[in-house]
Amino acid sequence: MGLLALGTALDWPEAKTKAHHVRAWGIKQLLEIWNKAKVKERDAMLWGDEVEYLVVTYSKDDPKVLLSLRQADILAALAGDKDLAKEVTPPASPVFHPEFGRFMLEATPGKPWGIDFKELLHVEPDMKLRYVHQSARVRILLLTRRRRAIAKDHMLPNEYPITLTTFPRIGSPGVFTEPHYPVSGPKLRSQFVPDEIANPHIRFPTLAANIRSRRGRKVQVNVPVFRDENTPWPWKDPTVNYDLHNWPEDDDVRNGAAPDNFIHMDAMAFGMGSCCLQITFQAKNITEGRKMYDQLSPLGPILLALTAATPIYKGFLADTDVRWNQISKAVDDRTAEELGEKPLQNDRWRIPKSRYASNSTYISEDPRLREEYLDPNLVIDPEIKQQLLDGGMDDRLATHFAHLFIRDPIVIFNEDLEVLDLSKTDHFENIQSTNWQHMRFKPPPADNNIGWRVEFRPMEIQITDFENAAFSVFMVLITRVILSFDLNFYIPITKVDENMETAHKRDAVLQEKFWFRRNLFSSRPSRGSGSGTNTPRSGGGGSRANSRPPSPVGPVEDEYKLMTVNEVINGDEEGEFPGLIPLVESYLDSVNVDVATRCQLARYLDLIRKRANGELWTAARWIREFVKGHEGYRRDSVVSEEVNKDLVGKVIEIGEREARGEGFKGLGRGVEKLLGGF
Amino acid sequence: MRFLKLLYLLLVDTGQSIWLFLPGRKKRLGGKRTMAKLILSTGNIVSGGPSIIRKPGAYRSNLELTNSLRSNFLAAQEDYATAAADDEAQDGKLHANGGVENGAAKSNGNALHVNTETGGRPPVSVWTAEEDGALYVPRIDWSEAGLQEEPSQYSITVKLFFLPSASVERRAQFAKEALDLVLKELDAPAIDLLIVSFPGMSFEGDCEWEADRHNAVQGNDEQELATWAAIEDLHRAGLAKSIGLAEFGSEKLARFLQRVQVRPSVNQINIKNCCNVPPPLTKLAKEEGIELLAHSDCIDILPEGTLRELLGQGLGGAGILADPETGAGGLKGDLAPQWVAKYTAVVRDRGVIENKGYFAGAELTEG
Repeated sequence: MGLLALGTALDWPEAKTKAHHVRAWGIKQLLEIWNKAKVKERDAMLWGDEVEYLVVTYSKDDPKVLLSLRQADILAALAGDKDLAKEVTPPASPVFHPEFGRFMLEATPGKPWGIDFKELLHVEPDMKLRYVHQSARVRILLLTRRRRAIAKDHMLPNEYPITLTTFPRIGSPGVFTEPHYPVSGPKLRSQFVPDEIANPHIRFPTLAANIRSRRGRKVQVNVPVFRDENTPWPWKDPTVNYDLHNWPEDDDVRNGAAPDNFIHMDAMAFGMGSCCLQITFQAKNITEGRKMYDQLSPLGPILLALTAATPIYKGFLADTDVRWNQISKAVDDRTAEELGEKPLQNDRWRIPKSRYASNSTYISEDPRLREEYLDPNLVIDPEIKQQLLDGGMDDRLATHFAHLFIRDPIVIFNEDLEVLDLSKTDHFENIQSTNWQHMRFKPPPADNNIGWRVEFRPMEIQITDFENAAFSVFMVLITRVILSFDLNFYIPITKVDENMETAHKRDAVLQEKFWFRRNLFSSRPSRGSGSGTNTPRSGGGGSRANSRPPSPVGPVEDEYKLMTVNEVINGDEEGEFPGLIPLVESYLDSVNVDVATRCQLARYLDLIRKRANGELWTAARWIREFVKGHEGYRRDSVVSEEVNKDLVGKVIEIGEREARGEGFKGLGRGVEKLLGGF
Repeated sequence: MRFLKLLYLLLVDTGQSIWLFLPGRKKRLGGKRTMAKLILSTGNIVSGGPSIIRKPGAYRSNLELTNSLRSNFLAAQEDYATAAADDEAQDGKLHANGGVENGAAKSNGNALHVNTETGGRPPVSVWTAEEDGALYVPRIDWSEAGLQEEPSQYSITVKLFFLPSASVERRAQFAKEALDLVLKELDAPAIDLLIVSFPGMSFEGDCEWEADRHNAVQGNDEQELATWAAIEDLHRAGLAKSIGLAEFGSEKLARFLQRVQVRPSVNQINIKNCCNVPPPLTKLAKEEGIELLAHSDCIDILPEGTLRELLGQGLGGAGILADPETGAGGLKGDLAPQWVAKYTAVVRDRGVIENKGYFAGAELTEG
């Protein structure tokens, strides 16, 4: 999550008065960095994955599985391990970061990956878990099987890093953390989770408190409950306490915050405590970065549905499969006026989406981007846009940032407001990094030679590192395919929003259809139409490559249609739509890849192919089936402690199998439908 | 030139043979046989759309080649016909202004008119070109050649397929010819890797083990070694930084290595679903420092029949060759494909394929 500077964090009423100050300085810093970096050229393709873990305590004899709140101790142990640095260089040792949840860890590769195909195969081992006891043999294994293993090595024997998106019983009545703390603390004011669930660094509780304060009430994370045979209907969340009177916000539930048939949650931890798989790519220049941002946007909902892994909240089966909207609601700081519940008086505009939402802009100056693809109702700050235009920025990019800057900064440190430092980007990042959209366009940091980057954020974390590596590598290859074949995925951005909603539905990967562009190929460049807009070769010299096609014509509505995820990924039966995997294969056929690498890549593509065509289940489906098939489940949507323990236990078992390199066969409980013969 | 084109259009319209207007193409090689060299090209196919897509079940490079040749022919016919029509209009105006007889311009207009109305092809000379004794199908505008960045930024690979119908003795010439074309097209001084694929060899079987056994007796060692010497020369001349083979199983490779001067740096093999490279080959490659690369190319990449169809008068043909039934409409004689060169230019540190295409050489023998 970055930005962990210390200082005096302002409470909301005061922070609010400084919001404009931060925005004004943020824009100055943005213009500074944009001016400096807009001419950056020919940066290499580098990329990185971020894997987030939950830390749980589990032992066979203990009937309870709990979230461990020892993040700080684990991180300290990781930081203090001098052997670690010695052992795992080269290549660079993985980096561990704190996350919002005190039960979470985030790990990233020690240095970014390149595009050498052999290097793509290092991703999975880097992610992998090795149970590390004190034996020398395992110490050596650390060298190759690293990231998860290193995390595990610095935990207690009964602590395990697992990659479920959410802890199934977080916020359930009773004990679900180790150590246990009482709920209803001053920061979160949640009736379900204690303040101690958040990272104690001042930034995090302030973030949660100021979102609540700005909003004027607690966040409302309501997710529809799955209605099973014995689920009482209408269903009233039995865990809601209507008689609590510790904080003014305790009135929320008495004022209808917890409607029937929804699982009700009331704190940022329910969203920001989710684990994601995010990939960041470095572009060769700003133009390519803007293009990747646009082209990857429509893929977001498809990959969200395909990686679905979140069917349980607070001990109940939900009627949705993914985490996205819950995070969106968990950090929704909009006021009643901004939400359109009250007429605008004090606030500047109505805002249709949370700060955490699918993105609302396309930003490329690609001639294939038609005006009709943009959102006509996009909310922007016209003054900010004007400042950016005056600073020389083009209209489209200025619009993008003027849209992000409609938000207030949430956490402001008093010390940072004394002097404007144009060699930093802290104020800009304050706004930018609290716009959690499904794509993020990242200008270079101020102080080094990193290039323009694009972050792909919608994917759900998968249970095994094999799957996480598969999806990471797949996305990397997709970016190369987009750039090589000059693909065009544009559809109206509002259709992407619609798809994002569709992706939430139960088993959307097989049951739903998504808007997708019919023809991905640009029209053939006519001879003599000149060279492309790419990096000019010094001393002239054109290229036949990537000549710009003529502007498209015809109604926009004819350009896209509803497709299944299977059609998008594997192609349609009529042979009209090629499918992303066949395109990746065409790409791989055109580059030099050694046999071993090609075979491993084929395994990754196979996993994705099978998830898309239903041969294998998503994690969400597997978890649902696990619960359904458990002897302790009463068909009433309740995921009891017993079921939870066995589920987490199975996830740990899968992880142990993977760590030993023994494959996933014979694990039972439907694991073969999740992971097949891999 | 323009006059010639005008005249040409007129005459084609009246059914005259195009041979009249391509003087100096035919070469007498003794006896009564005459030969003409054809250079076919796809142009850059990476951003060219569907021909790059590998359809499930039909994923071999021969389809990519024939599809992209066909679409490039069609595109060239469209582009150059339009260009020619523009020229015509321009010429007509000029002529009219200059007080030149109006009849010519009128007839030209008619000629084109007829073509578009009947859905017929534009005349061959409009979209092909005669250059250095070869007929380029389609014509290539070399002024647009080149890559977007310095050649050093790219990894350029050429895979050269020697075809079964071609002369073994002339392989050195073919290799030079093919490489020269690629270098000219990419405007690069050298390529990084030249892979040669010999006819009659495969690495196919139900399993790679079987493939390795079959492979041992395939091909012709002596011919391949003789050809390799010519490939070594290209390497020594600095035109190909490294050179490699395709479809060599462990036994064949071991024999080969004992007798070459410049060792292959890669061996490309066709792997199917079972990703088990036969251990003897893995072992040998590792010991000898030869990288085993994967490919999914077809061995019989350009069969004679396919080529004839591509260039013929039939539906989807380019209309270069005469109709075998009536003998009308174009070049006559036996057409033999000789080599195919697949080239790719990949931006080294970004993994972006900027340029990919094919050249193919063929010879037409009349006699």
